[in-house]
Amino acid sequence: MKDIMRVKCLLSSDVEALLNQQIKKEAHSSSIYLAMASWCNQNGFDFSSDYFFKQAEEERQHQLKFFKYVLDMGGTAISPEITAVKTEFNSFREIFEDALDQEISVTQSIKNIAARCYKEQDFVTVEFLNWFFKEQREEEYKARRALELFELIGEEGTGSWEIDKNVGKIKYSSEAE
Amino acid sequence: MAITITAPNTTTLNWTKVFGNYAGTIYQSDSESCWYVEFAGKTARFDYRNILKLKKAVYNIDIEALLLNSEKAADLEILFICACDHCYVLSLLEIIALKDLLQGTFVMLELNHIIHDRLVRI
Repeated sequence: MKDIMRVKCLLSSDVEALLNQQIKKEAHSSSIYLAMASWCNQNGFDFSSDYFFKQAEEERQHQLKFFKYVLDMGGTAISPEITAVKTEFNSFREIFEDALDQEISVTQSIKNIAARCYKEQDFVTVEFLNWFFKEQREEEYKARRALELFELIGEEGTGSWEIDKNVGKIKYSSEAE
Repeated sequence: MAITITAPNTTTLNWTKVFGNYAGTIYQSDSESCWYVEFAGKTARFDYRNILKLKKAVYNIDIEALLLNSEKAADLEILFICACDHCYVLSLLEIIALKDLLQGTFVMLELNHIIHDRLVRI
């Protein structure tokens, strides 16, 4: 009897489901960043607004990367429904706390997929995920650095304005690259 | 494209039995790269995409909720699969039987994959 399942698709149903879950997560992240960009813009934090617009675009690219990978492997990529996007924030600082939480949650989720892939010996997907691990290192670094500006500068007086100005300058150019 | 065939002669058609239970049988056709599901009085052809859709549709039915449902309405579920000519109208017992049939089938297909790996590929 032919192994039709394997011929048609390189992914196991479990890994495929996890990847689709990740597609949804990335889309959700993109929407959250867009909401953050909107809040920052409305409150006069132009540099932070630009920063979050860029982040939203990056998350969208990540989503598409996962989407195309599932299709390339013969799987079914599901266009996700995005609900419950937080649009109201209590403070400028809360936004960056949420952004870091979001990135941590994405990293953990990708680690979970990789763990499953190792269990199934799906090294093809592991190789694909490696790009994301490197990317997450950068994303978490940037989010952490942004939050640290609040400690370093403080929000008193023109502090928020100064923080906003410096958010736009955050770059990841580590030698560990 | 799905075709309904009644009373198939599996030997002449070169179908391989994948799994069967008291309510039905699923065969694989290597030449057509598809599966034939003999269930609820008919034999229906499912290609790769459609059999996965059927699996998803059946697995998504909350059997426990149906069992606990005390409403007087008939316990019928309509299984409609998009882009597939077949539709099943099943009672609760038939749903349980179909789920069992599909679970067995997918275990057998997985086993077939492992055997292929061990004997031929690795």
